[in-house]
This record gives sequence, C-alpha cells and structure tokens, in this order.
Amino acid sequence: MKKRKGIWALVLMLLLSLALVGCNSSSTSNEGEPDDSTDDNGTEETAAGGQLVFGRGGDSTSLDPAATTEGEAFKVTVNLYETLINFGEQDTEIHPGLATEWSTSEDGLTHTLKLREGVKFHDGTDFNADAVVYNFERWKGGDKEQFYYYNSQFGDKIDSVTAVDEYTVEFKLNTPIAPFYKNLAMSPFGIASPTAIEEHGDNFFKNPVGTGPFKFKEWRENDRITIVKNEDYWQEGLPKLDEVIFRVIPENSARLNALATGEVDLIDGVNFSDKETIESNPELQVFERPSLNIGYLGLTSTRKPLDNKLVRQALNHAVNKQEIIDAFYAGAADPAINPMPPVVAGYNPEVEDYEYDPEKAKELLAEAGYPDGFEMELWAMPVPRPYMPEGQKVAEALQKMFEEIGVKAKIVTYEWGTYLEKANAGEADTFLLGWTGDNGDADNFLYVLLDEDSIGSNNYSYYKNDEVHELLLKAQASSDQAERDELYKQAQVIIKDDAPWIPLVHSTPLLAGSANISNFLAHPTGSDLLSSVEIKN
Amino acid sequence: MELSTNNQLQRPLEPVEEKAVSPWLEAWRSFRKNKLAVLGTLIVLFFILLAIFAPLIAPQGINEQNFEKRLLAPSSEHWFGTDDFGRDIFSRVVHGARISLWVGFLAVTGSIVVGCLLGILAGYYGKWVDTIISRFFDILLAFPSILLAIAIVAVLGPSLKNALIAIAIINIPNFGRLIRSRVLSVKQEEYILAAKAVGMKNSRILFHHVMPNSIAPIIVQGTLAIATAIIEAAALGFLGLGAEAPNPEWGKMLTDSRAFLVQAPWTMIFPGLAIMLTVLGFNLMGDGLRDALDPKMKN
Repeated sequence: MKKRKGIWALVLMLLLSLALVGCNSSSTSNEGEPDDSTDDNGTEETAAGGQLVFGRGGDSTSLDPAATTEGEAFKVTVNLYETLINFGEQDTEIHPGLATEWSTSEDGLTHTLKLREGVKFHDGTDFNADAVVYNFERWKGGDKEQFYYYNSQFGDKIDSVTAVDEYTVEFKLNTPIAPFYKNLAMSPFGIASPTAIEEHGDNFFKNPVGTGPFKFKEWRENDRITIVKNEDYWQEGLPKLDEVIFRVIPENSARLNALATGEVDLIDGVNFSDKETIESNPELQVFERPSLNIGYLGLTSTRKPLDNKLVRQALNHAVNKQEIIDAFYAGAADPAINPMPPVVAGYNPEVEDYEYDPEKAKELLAEAGYPDGFEMELWAMPVPRPYMPEGQKVAEALQKMFEEIGVKAKIVTYEWGTYLEKANAGEADTFLLGWTGDNGDADNFLYVLLDEDSIGSNNYSYYKNDEVHELLLKAQASSDQAERDELYKQAQVIIKDDAPWIPLVHSTPLLAGSANISNFLAHPTGSDLLSSVEIKN
Repeated sequence: MELSTNNQLQRPLEPVEEKAVSPWLEAWRSFRKNKLAVLGTLIVLFFILLAIFAPLIAPQGINEQNFEKRLLAPSSEHWFGTDDFGRDIFSRVVHGARISLWVGFLAVTGSIVVGCLLGILAGYYGKWVDTIISRFFDILLAFPSILLAIAIVAVLGPSLKNALIAIAIINIPNFGRLIRSRVLSVKQEEYILAAKAVGMKNSRILFHHVMPNSIAPIIVQGTLAIATAIIEAAALGFLGLGAEAPNPEWGKMLTDSRAFLVQAPWTMIFPGLAIMLTVLGFNLMGDGLRDALDPKMKN
C-alpha cells in the first residue's frame, strides 16, 4: 500500500508541474505578443523605433529634478524635461533650449529670454512664460532641503521672475551671477508642467510631466523606470526610439554580463579593467564620457589629528596616484592636482602637486608631533561611481600607502545613503568621494565643494578658509571671465596649501553598448540625452 | 543480509576483548577503519598545521602590494598567482587558514558553551525554565541562519569579531536542543535517580553525570558545526560583512576577485578551493565521528 501511495504522489506531482509549466509558457507568450506586434509596426512604419534598455548602478531617488542632487535621477529626467538653455552634445557650451534667444543688460542684473512657441507639456498644457514663472516661484518657495540646486545656484540672488508677454520671461537679479546661463542649462532646472505639479502635489516626484522627447510610463522601485516616445515632441523626427527602460543592476560585472547576454543594450559604470574585453567583442562597443569629474580622499579638517595642516600635507605626500590609476582605472584617468578638472575655465596649471615622497611625509608627521603615526578611519564608498569605480580597492591601496608612513587606517564602509549622511555630519576621518560637474563652471567645483557656505551640503571635508571664501564670492559676482579666472587661480593656490583633500583622479568614465546602437553621445555631466539614439535590429 | 549474518557469526568471539577497552578506544578503532573519515582528519590536520605555521610557510606577508605584478598567472615564483594588488595569493590563502579556522573553532566553542548551559538548564529543570529557553531557541531557529547572521552583523557593525559573534549566536540553538534532549533521556536513568536519592546536589549531578554522558553527540555536532561556521564566515566575508581589509579572509578574497573571473580565474579558484577543502575535511571527519561515537550506528 505504502509504495503505491508513493507512486500516486509522484504522478500527481508530475501532472502538477506539467500544468504549472503550461501556465507559465502561455502567460509569457501572452505578455510577449503585444510587445512583438508594436515592434513590428514600429519598424514597418517609421523604419526606426525600438526599445533601448539602459542598465545602470542605482535607482533614481526622485523624478522631480529640482528636488534632488543625485546623478541617477538626472539620467532619467534629462529625457523627460527640457531646460531653457541646453548644453552642447558633449560639452558645456550654451545653446538654445526652450528659450530661443536671450539678452543681458549692461549691469548684468536683468536677463530677458525669448521662449520657443508651440511647445506642449506631456499632459497637453501649453508651455509659455507663465509656466516658466510658475516653476521658478515654486523653487523659490522651497528651502535648501527641498530644492537644493536652486538655492545653491540662484537662491536669493534672483529677485524676481516675470512674464513680460506670453513668450518672454525677464529675470531680475540682486547681484550678477556669472554662470547664469550655464546654471539654467543644468538638469535640475527642467521646466515641469504647472498643471501636473498642482495635481500631484507631494507625489509629483513619482509622476513627472515635462516637455522632453520622452514621456514617463512606469517606475518600479529599485528595478526599472520606463519612458516612452513623446509623439508630439516639437523637434521633427525625434526621438528615434519608442521606449527606453532604465534598469537597475548594482554590480558592475553583473551589469556587463547582462549586456553580453543581450538583456540590456547600454550600460554605464563599466569597470576600467573590462575595457579590453569589450573592445575585443565585435558585438559590443565602448563609449567614453568626456571627463568632468574629480575623485578625491576628503580629510575632515575638524577631526583630530587632521585638523593639523601638516598632517594633511603629509598624507598628500604619501599617495602614489599614478599607481592607483594604473591599477584601478586601467590608465583611463589623469592624476588630479586641483579640485577641478583642467578643462574647466580658471584651472590653475601652475599649482604643483605634492610629489609622492614617503620620507617627506614622515618628516612632516614628525614636525606635526606624530613621529610614530596615528590611527584613523578610512571610509570606502560602497557603490561604484564614474570617478571611483572601485572604492573598496582604492581604499585598500591607500591603506597600504598610509601604512608606509606609519598611519594605520581602518577601512570602514556603510550603505550609500548612510555613508553620505554620516560623512556630511563630519563623522569620517578620511573618506573617498567625488564630484561630476553640473555645468562646467569653476564655481560648480570650488564653491560647491570647498566653500564654507557649502558645509552641510557638499563640503564634506568641513574645509573653511576666509580668504578662499572671499575669492569665491567675488568670482561668483563678477561677470568678467578673465577676472573670474584669476580669482579662481588664486583660490586654488591657497586650497592646495591647506590640503583639505587628497585630489586623486579625473577619470574618463566608460560606458558600453551593443554594436547596433548609433548616435549615442555620452555627456560630460553624466545626464545623457537619448533622443537621437538609434538601434538597429 | 549477508553482512548481518556474518556479524552474528563473529559476535560470540568479540565480547571478551570488548569488555577490556574503554568506549573511547573502541570509537577510535571504528573511526580508524573509516577511510573517508581518516582522509577528512588528515585534511583538517593539514589546514591546522598550515594555520599554525603560516608565517613560516608563506613566502610573503598578507598585504605586500606590488602594482607592477598585478594579476600574474600562477608560476614558480607565485604558486597561486597574484591578485589585483600584486599580492601573492598563495601567501594570502595560507594566512587565510588562520582566520577561517580561528573563526570556526572560536564561534563553535562559544555556541557550545552557551548552548550547553541553556540546554542543560532547560532539560534538567523543565517547567517554565524549559518553556522560556526552548521558545528562545525556536525564535532563533525561525530565522534562516545566514539572514540572522547578517542582521546581527548589521546591528553590531561589520568586522571579523562581530561576524564571529553572529555565527556563535546562530549556532546556539543547535547545541541547546541537542543537550536538552540528551538531558531529558539521561535524567530518567537509574543512576541519576540513585544520585538524587543519595542527596547529591543538582549542580554536581549536572556536571558529573549528565554532562559527561552528553559529550559524544556534542563532539560530532561541533565538528560539523565548524564546517558550517567556516562557510558562514566566508559568506559574511563575501557580502562585505566579515573580515576587514586587508585581512585575507577566504570569502572576502572571493568577492574581491569577482571582477576578474574571466581575466584571472586563479584569484578566485584558490581561495574557493581552500574553503571547499576545509569544509569537506570537517564534514568527513564529523561524519566519521558520528559513526564511531553513536551507539545506535553500531551493528
């Protein structure tokens, strides 16, 4: 009896599993069919279209670009919203965007912008001067927590924004803002539909509505964001793609695997060490993102013994940057000397780097009163970033270099959110971090990262120097570019001497895609516009 | 069938000899006959020696970075190749034995001490003491063990010491329950009743009679638990929750080499083999011990 029961159970299980398999295949084919048919239609009618799957390291935190500072968010929003001014395809020069022409008054305090006519938001609302004014009023009404970039780039310096007529906007400033138009071109200042903002209120960040080439479709948290073609886009023939899916694949090598198997079409955050492998595969191609970043080790100047300038300089002397670059960036990076990359206007090429010299470092430590070194924490980034693809490994290399001069570093890491929060609270002795420029202006590096006003936001190293502060403010208010350059150059000299960081690298971030992608241009700011990308099947 | 008749035939001859030997010696004899168990023991001994003499055996220290020699394939100079820091993998694997065995032994010792104490209390006193302790075990067992370990490390902060504590904690109920059941059965034995009747103190009964009678299963379970503990430590290390850099913990070495799976497979193969071999060794040895020590397994 027992045996027979066993057989019956087995038969039952087999039947059940067959039935389940049957269900499975039928449901997938159901899902698959409509997709296929749309694809077919697309290729027949327009000869373009198709779907692009973009694999990336992290999810967006918000799809309201004004309410975030995070690169992963802009990567999506740059395709949903448009800004008044546009950057060039691969640079940070200014070009017409939603504004077609603009003029500045003699004193630099009044800017008048002519807007593009006949543009509509995705929800059908007209784009006009009132919409622009509405957006600026909204940002003005929020505090630093809510609209960080507005407050840091414009803040109180904008006195008023008014609609002169339906397609003319006038900005009145209290003090001149030198990079005014560059600021306007930054992703956070994408113009959103006033109707949608009213309708969704606090949930607008999940229901983005702009004028961009793509419309928002779906957001599954930590999995994917789907955007689809905006059929009524004002630029003829754009976008080329029907649908873009941003998928989250946190691990670099897993993401590359997904690309190799065809699961995704385009990925960012490619390990530098994988470059050769990708190039040797005829089905894949490598894209280089023009460098506009800095990866650094912050030395929190409020913590002992890093409050001592000599100690900070000693640590600078202990680091062999070229070795790190060769090992972890496959040579695709330049050693950093100043806190901003050389392409940015105002870069001071005369500043000399602390040369790699452990003996000198030991002398400086002894002079500072630490002949036997000291112990400290070294925070390693838990996530790959273009400027720091392998935080843990760079930390290990630095740990060893510091050990040579008698400094014992304990490598510590936290989940990314916690990491930033704690580092921002000044709890890290030394920490790896970096920055990708938003608008290619020196202000966006020096003021944002090292001015005392930025302590609590992006000045994680708590660096404070009144002289630097004065220079940076002066440069911000000046509209004479030559004078600005001079001020920034002076600031860099002082910063170098104070050594609030160990500037490590300016990397050339790598992306990779399948060979059938064309017209993809990686933007230095990290926000890639996908409207002219094509994919051949 | 044939085997058992054979045994029956031989049996009348044996008792004379058997009476003279201690149960431990008898266990050793049956253990020695088990070839796999002996192999396991040899592997374990090998790794223990490796761990003890690591500084003598390893040609390099654990963190001698040399970026000019990164990702070299195995050669006569670097037996296991080098990793992406140019460190000698052979040296790191040898030193890694120290960490893994240390974690394994210490964590298991910890869980044996705590688990036995709780188990004895629960089994001997029964009633509400038993209820409380047994429910505590149930709660611990309700979590998948590695998940619980991750949670504990997350609370304490990632470090080798905390990983060790976490592994010790998740293994407590295994030993606790084992001892409890032993105590429950031993408690009913006549010699315990006799001891009670004579007026022996509870503590004396527990440690002089109950404990020694429960030691065999603990040894077996302990050996097997070391194997699990090593895997768990490696898993935590792999997840970045175990040993801190630059400690050459095997699991951590695996994570660090993920990026070079294709390019430099030796960075992953050797630490992986080391984990596999130690765990296999402890498992074979544990199985052999169980066969040798468990009276029910004897024919």
